[in-house]
Amino acid sequence: MHDLNPTDVNKETDVTVDTRDDAKTTATSTTKAETTTKADAKAASKARRGKLFADLAPLIGLAVLAIAFVLVGTSSGTNMGYAVETLINQSVIIIIIATGAIFIFAMGSFDISLGASTLVAAMVAGLVHNATGSLWLMLGAAILTAVATSLISATLAAVFNLPVFVTTVAMLSVLGAVAAALVQTTGGAQIRIDRAFSREYDTLAVKLIVAAVFLALCVFLFNYTRLGRVEKLVGGNPMTAKLTGVSMKLTAIAAFGIAGLGVGLGAFLTVLRTPTLTVTSASDIGMNILVAMVFGGMVISGGPRSRIYAAIIGGISMALLNQTMSIMLQGMAGGAGIAQMVRAVLFLAVVWLAASGFRTKVLPR
Amino acid sequence: MTNDVVLTVTDMSKSFGVVRALKHVDFELRDGEIHGLIGENGSGKSTMTSIIAGSQPADSGTMLFQGAPWAPATVNESLANGIGMVVQESGTVPGITVAENLFLGETGQFTRFGIVDRRAMNKKASAALEAIGVEDLNPATPAGACDFQTRKLVELARVMMYEPKVVVIDETTTALAQDGRDLLYKAMDTHKTRGAVVFISHDLDEIMSVCDRLTVLRDGDIICTFDKDEFDEGAIRAAMIGRSMEGHYYREDNKATHHDEVWLSATGLNLENKLKDVSIEVRSGEIVGVGGLSHCGMHELGKALFGAAPLESGEVVSRGVKITNERRAVRNAFGYVSKDRDTESLSLTASIRDNIASAGLRLIGKGRAGLITKRAENAYVQTPIDQLEIKAPGAGTIVSTLSGGNKQKVVFGKWIACGTEVLILDCPTRGVDVGVKQAMYRLMTQLKDEGKAIVLISEEMTELMGMSDRLLIMKDGRVVREFERSADLNEMEIIECMI
Repeated sequence: MHDLNPTDVNKETDVTVDTRDDAKTTATSTTKAETTTKADAKAASKARRGKLFADLAPLIGLAVLAIAFVLVGTSSGTNMGYAVETLINQSVIIIIIATGAIFIFAMGSFDISLGASTLVAAMVAGLVHNATGSLWLMLGAAILTAVATSLISATLAAVFNLPVFVTTVAMLSVLGAVAAALVQTTGGAQIRIDRAFSREYDTLAVKLIVAAVFLALCVFLFNYTRLGRVEKLVGGNPMTAKLTGVSMKLTAIAAFGIAGLGVGLGAFLTVLRTPTLTVTSASDIGMNILVAMVFGGMVISGGPRSRIYAAIIGGISMALLNQTMSIMLQGMAGGAGIAQMVRAVLFLAVVWLAASGFRTKVLPR
Repeated sequence: MTNDVVLTVTDMSKSFGVVRALKHVDFELRDGEIHGLIGENGSGKSTMTSIIAGSQPADSGTMLFQGAPWAPATVNESLANGIGMVVQESGTVPGITVAENLFLGETGQFTRFGIVDRRAMNKKASAALEAIGVEDLNPATPAGACDFQTRKLVELARVMMYEPKVVVIDETTTALAQDGRDLLYKAMDTHKTRGAVVFISHDLDEIMSVCDRLTVLRDGDIICTFDKDEFDEGAIRAAMIGRSMEGHYYREDNKATHHDEVWLSATGLNLENKLKDVSIEVRSGEIVGVGGLSHCGMHELGKALFGAAPLESGEVVSRGVKITNERRAVRNAFGYVSKDRDTESLSLTASIRDNIASAGLRLIGKGRAGLITKRAENAYVQTPIDQLEIKAPGAGTIVSTLSGGNKQKVVFGKWIACGTEVLILDCPTRGVDVGVKQAMYRLMTQLKDEGKAIVLISEEMTELMGMSDRLLIMKDGRVVREFERSADLNEMEIIECMI
């Protein structure tokens, strides 16, 4: 051990040597430089192709399903106008709710109660309409109920320091009980609104306007504001996000608030489309949303690769698949079961492919 | 050392996207030697050894191990057949015990009728730990509760337990304090009597004293191999860098300087048993170094100053604002570079752009009603990318594909771009090469000159002495001594305070 002052430290570590052209490098430098340039260009091209394919895969899937839908529809003599209308009816609610839910998934979180929340919001909207006859109050009730249930999940998670997923599991049970209780208030097994009224507003134009406004809002928030970036940062690495000054609680509350707005709008369209609601209505919405997002290329673990358009592409893809399958399996015994199985197989295949791509990207250097 | 070749690598290449990590390299490892690999970050050291140890396949090339073709498909296959590796980053599973980590995937040997005999497993784990000199670690402790050094030693014990012919130690010593390093050196010395060791380190002094031969890599090429009697610091540095490095490594002055305004003031900080009544002040334009042995509380102090530790008592104040959490810290122009870069400072799956922009999103949206456009974001991140010379094909490059030094530059870039005024740096040069280190020191000096307040926490005494205006030495959670920068600073005296 010896005495050492700051100047000595510098002296000991100063790097004053000249560049040494090692003989081994010089001998082969020209050849290697040429080989390297060609190989670099090849590798760059390969990487670009890989990224392009990954980005385009959901769109390619959508195009394939669209072609299959047209071929199957026209060859079976199906009324294509009606089929397209059904397609939009099927996909629009899924797209709206899934787009809102992207904010939750991007954080690497999950809400299992989306379907139940949609049902309860639709029921409350139906009851409000029956009491007031107002379309706007019905819409407001749907949104308020859905946003409130979403915020309760997020706030409980923040207060008790739990993963939000856990509180949504609890919320699933609570909402199931609330739905049953709401049905009982009518004295029957269902909540029904006036069919003439629902037909008046259950139009393509209303659906497309609602969807367009909400999607525009979500695209803006997700891609062009701090909120969207922060959601992806949290999904990519929550600890890093926290140590970058991100409030995890506020971020979760904002994400669930937006998702709640989507659920509210979805519930509003649901009650217009299905004016008779029972405790089993909208039961498959939660699962359909998850499948749609995966079909659309959403990364299940969230993070920086989350894309808002995954909900749109996925929602349309799933509706195309459902329509194509229902045309193909029309009249076949057990057709619905087969369609479900095909959907499950495709879901697994897409997740497997996405996971394979991810594994290769995170291999250690 | 014999001249028998135990492992041969021929014409090996490997690319990650556009990055060519290895370019037709040839390498020989002899029986009975400790063979050092040295080179700048991203030179290909870890890539070559990870291929040898079965972490990933090569794109092309062949390997021979003890005369037979060698191409392990997995790390476990490699370990079972004679080559084990202790990896650079954490290789333990935090949610299970030390013993379970040691016998990961091998607990069947302790299982009877489907029930794991934990007593037998813990006993064998203790024996494996004692074999490398770790005697005070309870194998039933969850790995997540152990510090980084202990986890690295657990990894070493796991590899050594298999008695492999070849052991690869990849930049492990940066995570170890001196006692841990001594254990590692002893284990390597013992091992070379029955096999060979490949040892990767950025510490030139260490690698020169420990190794029998030394191979230098640069930009995916093997530049040259030195025998022990040819070791020459200047020649090795030149081979590593391929260019001359000009100027001083650390600060040139030896006088403490700072402005009068106190920008960070912490009073009476207490945190579990890790911080005991710690008070510290940092002024504008001042670098305050914090040093000590591992477990002295310096890393916890860094987090506490950033509002990221649940203090039992005490307060951190910056220019009249109490710093009670990370959010408030960032809003008051604080920045924190964590010792655990990959898990606490970066989003590895995000791009350079996303990472650098993450701390400055409010700035990017300022004057645009919060609107963050691609153009504004690119303009924001390009300055730190250029200033720090981050080597990457573009701002969209995913951070996980970068070398350690470039990753650390991204972390620095994140805080510099958003105008951080109080910077807390916890081991900022851990695992980075001399070139990047020099760049970091220059940057710190520049930030000091701009009037920023810097807390530099480090396990490297030369770094602390070379950069700090004031140096606080911690022991058992307390600040035990304070040294002012001067020409008379005595390393011996400082170390005596630490131990």
